Amino acid sequence: MQISFERSGGFAGMVMATDVDTANLPSEDAKHLRTLVEAADFFRLPTTIAAAQPDRFQYQITVTDAGKVHSVSVDESVMPGTLRPLVDWLIQATRQR
Amino acid sequence: MVSRHISGWLGAHKQPYRCPICCILPPYILGEVIKNGNAEQRAWAFQTLTTSEQFRGRREAVGRINFASPAGSKLRTIYDAKSSETLPGTLVRREGDPATGDLAVDEAYDGAGATYDLYYEVFERNSIDDRGLRLDSTVHYGDKYDNAFWNGDQMVYGDGDGELFERFTKSIDVIGHELTHGVTQYEANLIYYGESGALNESFSDVFGTLVKQRSLNQTADQADWLIGAGLLSSKVQGVALRSMKDPGTAYDDPVLGKDPQPAHYKNLYKGPADNGGVHINSGIANRAFYLAATEIGGYAWEKAGKIWYIALRDRLRSRANFKRAANTLVTVAGELYGQNSVEQAAVRKGWQTVGVL
Repeated sequence: MQISFERSGGFAGMVMATDVDTANLPSEDAKHLRTLVEAADFFRLPTTIAAAQPDRFQYQITVTDAGKVHSVSVDESVMPGTLRPLVDWLIQATRQR
Repeated sequence: MVSRHISGWLGAHKQPYRCPICCILPPYILGEVIKNGNAEQRAWAFQTLTTSEQFRGRREAVGRINFASPAGSKLRTIYDAKSSETLPGTLVRREGDPATGDLAVDEAYDGAGATYDLYYEVFERNSIDDRGLRLDSTVHYGDKYDNAFWNGDQMVYGDGDGELFERFTKSIDVIGHELTHGVTQYEANLIYYGESGALNESFSDVFGTLVKQRSLNQTADQADWLIGAGLLSSKVQGVALRSMKDPGTAYDDPVLGKDPQPAHYKNLYKGPADNGGVHINSGIANRAFYLAATEIGGYAWEKAGKIWYIALRDRLRSRANFKRAANTLVTVAGELYGQNSVEQAAVRKGWQTVGVL
């Protein structure tokens, strides 16, 4: 499973991005990440979940797995609770890069 | 699909569409546009929806007089989210209460006061809505939250992660920036996407930096024209988050990357990130203001600030692009200070230098 992640916006307007491939992760981490993607029901999320509030963050996430590709653009203020743990994990991954 | 819904509904009333305020679309149609429209349509629909909510709130506020203050007297309320994301949080300081000793609480209080004073004493505006709206702020929002925002009703500040960012109340221009999002929402209501969104951002930076310059009693040539100076930790290679004087030069750091702001219209960012680059392309409009203000000279809030304020309050509409805004500002400068006046020439030259006119 490959995940491409980008955070933009916020007061600072800085763009942070990372690419994650479960093939390069320790097996526990890879398993955890798969759980987060399943918990979010990622492949059934709408491609855009938008509500532009001034200075909030905007996230762009693309997941590729077993021949399926799905991209979701989501604004911080309307982030589904089920998606939040995945986004938090990806933000951490961006910082550790 | 979307346009058919809208024209059908308007057709039933046999009225042309004029503006979101005098002719509010039913929320379910806006909901459809938010779900199915393109990026700009979605931004417009959402903004219309929140504006309607605002107006409903305003009607309520008229009935509850304790929410509004008489002209010239501010009503500040500071809440503490205690690292949660629940708004507004616990009330910790009301208007007139003494300092608490909590830096974020006291900076939010003092910064909102300095912003209110700029708007009231210079532009004769009584708070965000010009009707004495209470200024609500929440500090200590979220866990190591690297951000500050305006949610349509109040200002919200994070503490920063301590590694890269300090607390967001540390720069007074951030407070002026957030409160100005409220002013813009009640006035031009610039759609938060693309060029109108970049203008929305730029107006917040302009009045944010004017709050700072006035609190330091600085003329245009004495000011640093930085946004968020002091917010970046000592570990970061950078002086601030943005430079209105030299967009693109505020930071260049191995972790955070380089300041992406263009200084000229030819380098306009056209991608989808950041709502079509609202915090990126704002650099172009910021620089136009800096150029106009320094060309005019003296205190930037007195003339350049007034031109920008009148345009925001009375002239600009929600879909304005850079060119429309630039022409409007040149017109307003002429009306305030005379055709071909030094002030009007300075505004025109500023927008020409950044490649918009």
